[in-house]
Amino acid sequence: MKIKNIKDILDAEVIVGDDKLDIDVKHIYASDLMSDVLAFGEPNSILLTGLASQQAIISAHMAEFDGVVLIRGKKTKDGSEKFARDKQIVLLSTQLDMYDACVRIGLADNKQIILNSEKLAFPVKNNIILSHEFSVDGNDFTNAGMASTEVKAVLKKIGLDPVLIRRVAISTYESEMNVVMHAKRGTVKLSVTPKFIQVIIEDVGKGIPDIKMAMQEGYTTATEEMRAMGFGSGMGLPNIKKNSDELDLSSEVGKGTCLRLKFFI
Amino acid sequence: MTTKELIENLNLKPLSKFDHREIKGVFVSDMLSDVMAGAKSGDIWVTVQTHKSVIPAANLVDVSAVIITSNKQVPQDTIELASKHSIALLWTELPTFEFVGKLYALGLMTT
Repeated sequence: MKIKNIKDILDAEVIVGDDKLDIDVKHIYASDLMSDVLAFGEPNSILLTGLASQQAIISAHMAEFDGVVLIRGKKTKDGSEKFARDKQIVLLSTQLDMYDACVRIGLADNKQIILNSEKLAFPVKNNIILSHEFSVDGNDFTNAGMASTEVKAVLKKIGLDPVLIRRVAISTYESEMNVVMHAKRGTVKLSVTPKFIQVIIEDVGKGIPDIKMAMQEGYTTATEEMRAMGFGSGMGLPNIKKNSDELDLSSEVGKGTCLRLKFFI
Repeated sequence: MTTKELIENLNLKPLSKFDHREIKGVFVSDMLSDVMAGAKSGDIWVTVQTHKSVIPAANLVDVSAVIITSNKQVPQDTIELASKHSIALLWTELPTFEFVGKLYALGLMTT
């Protein structure tokens, strides 16, 4: 959303930054507590605040915000205007109170509401019992399967159901082998929550041009050498699909592939 | 049947250090994905593959033993890794076909 849109939605007056209204902002952050702004604010945001002192502008600048909207028709105090001008922060003023200002922006841009609710991921994060990360090197057949072996050992230590562990282990092994065979390098991220196990395998490599094709049993791009080792029979991804509860595969040709797997406990 | 009885019956050469366990069935394949997809926990896995990645696969699928057939030379690092994970790595000079025939005669089946 452009600052200009926000100005129109809030029927706001521009105090500083008439020439920067075309800046596209990603988030709206509404708060009167500047320590919250510094802790949770994200770059390319607009700050909605009732704090009209210079501290608001400094905080916005520190958190790499693009602008500040003063609510309830507040006038700037002390050196706010000069500081905003110096640091290229857009400064607006609206007659609306905080609630109305937030609602209007939210209604005008539903996406913004979704963005903010994504931030609620905080409590979920705290639910992670454990997380581990392992690296995998492309073409390193000597150590292939080591990350999966570690994953299995970790899950076994927690004392999860062996049948579930086996499904996770098999899926992780196939994914790891895909990195070894087809990518330059990758990581295996394991996280365990009370409800599910998540394994994310991300690699830097050539990517998959046709995911639908790759998911088909028997389809393979493995070399003769790999096949001689018993890999590349085109069963990897179908095996992973069979053993996981949720599979999300995304890939960009020339960049890499990300495979997200979920197993419900 | 246990791995101990199998070794005695078919004169297999144990290559790694491991604890004996019950054999549930047999799975024969040289394609690792086939093993990952089809082998059951407790199966013995009969193969000619000898490289190190066989061991993680065996460990993850939880086979009761890996049997290398056809008089294959097994690399030292494969044997060491098998010992590290207590995977029974057994060896026979018999080709897969003949060896499987003997397993069949012993009454072992695909699970």
